[in-house]
Amino acid sequence: MLLRPKQAEAPSRAAEYGEPVSGSFGDQLVAVLPRLRRFARGLTGSATEADDLVQAACERALARAHQFQEGTRFDSWMFRIVQTIWIDQLRAREVRKEDGDVAEERLGSDASVRGIEARLALSEVRNAVDRLPQDQRMTLMLVTVEGLSYKEAAEVAGVPVGTIMSRLARARIALQQHLDAGAGIRRRSQDAKAQ
Amino acid sequence: MQKHSDEALVAYLDGELESAERRHVEAWLDADPAARDRLSALAQSADLVRSAYADIVNEPVPERLLAAARGESAVPRPSASAEIVALPPRRVAGPRPSRRQWIGLAAAAALFGLMIGSAGTYVGIGLLPRDNGAEQTQLAAAAAQRIWLDNAAASYRLAVNAGDGMLVDVPASNDPREALQRISQNVPQMRLPDLKPWGLTLRGARLVTVDGRPAAQLVYVADDKALGPVTLVVSAAKQPDLSPTIERRQDVNLLYWRNQGRAYALVGQADIGYLWGIANDIAWQLRAL
Repeated sequence: MLLRPKQAEAPSRAAEYGEPVSGSFGDQLVAVLPRLRRFARGLTGSATEADDLVQAACERALARAHQFQEGTRFDSWMFRIVQTIWIDQLRAREVRKEDGDVAEERLGSDASVRGIEARLALSEVRNAVDRLPQDQRMTLMLVTVEGLSYKEAAEVAGVPVGTIMSRLARARIALQQHLDAGAGIRRRSQDAKAQ
Repeated sequence: MQKHSDEALVAYLDGELESAERRHVEAWLDADPAARDRLSALAQSADLVRSAYADIVNEPVPERLLAAARGESAVPRPSASAEIVALPPRRVAGPRPSRRQWIGLAAAAALFGLMIGSAGTYVGIGLLPRDNGAEQTQLAAAAAQRIWLDNAAASYRLAVNAGDGMLVDVPASNDPREALQRISQNVPQMRLPDLKPWGLTLRGARLVTVDGRPAAQLVYVADDKALGPVTLVVSAAKQPDLSPTIERRQDVNLLYWRNQGRAYALVGQADIGYLWGIANDIAWQLRAL
């Protein structure tokens, strides 16, 4: 005996929640969510805060969908929205003097990362990224992690390409120094244990 | 000039230099071993950063973000006691179909297309509100079902977008008992349907949350790439049993049903008749109808 399908009885979305999101726009937004979460995680250093940021970005994008220009990069447009909201939030925090707050799950955890050692190494790198100034961290995430060109990153950040180049160099060098310092501390600790 | 040199090295690594600048940096690297060491240290740190953030894109996307992407952030949560409508009991599907039988099943599914009108009428009568309270309850339940299916379709799209790069929480290559044990953390006493007769190989499972409840998304890849992958979402459900329902979200087909406290959604871009045959097979294997 075969199964008998029936039509869905759910009321239409338009009737319940206003005009539906256009399929292609909504699809693009869903498709870019994983990368937005990663970008936001790099900016905020916190999984929960990053998801809040992405959620706010989705809401803003939907409200301003008409401003998106077909033929341009959707991911860059969304990165720009995320970074704009993040900068606004940082400014608001400054006003509220919350800047010293440290998110509990600053580094989060990845179930997929196997082994304490691997987790520590990744945490150390993320920790080093978290210590970078905001503008450098954002540039590092856009170019090194998300793979945008300097020109694309400059458009997202609203700065000249030369600024991206210098921010990125400063970020990479500072990161290198943080990681070297971490490695030095580990070596000294291991040496002390060995003695 | 150290700053300028570092900028040039970073831009060189990123492939952002014009050919003349690139040649200049290469000449410098050829002549200066310290610059080469610095270049390799910078390259290594860039790789580390990419690795540190690589897995985030493979994490299951929280439901609230999928809803936000659809412009549904303010969707009310359904009440726990929501009911849809009591449906007549169903029998377990017949013998498991062979691979060749799916064409026949597809034809049968097409026939069902003709029956949808009458079935819809029946369900429509069943859904007629008895009073405002019941109407609200039914609307909430219908909204919950729609969100469940929206999320199943969105999760499917994410799986398709990730392609071969998609990580699964529980790879199928592991010991099946171990895989089942891990999946059972989300969906107790789960069984893994074997869909090889349909040309589908289990890639693995993602442990996700659907409608606030733990769920498993089984991901099958097709031998025939034109068919695309197929996913089966299984989660706990408090609502009554529900006959299989065909839904569509843009280019994604869904077959959705509930049986004995579990909700199932078979999702794919393949023809609905093909999915229909697979759903029958799954039902036969899981006794889930």
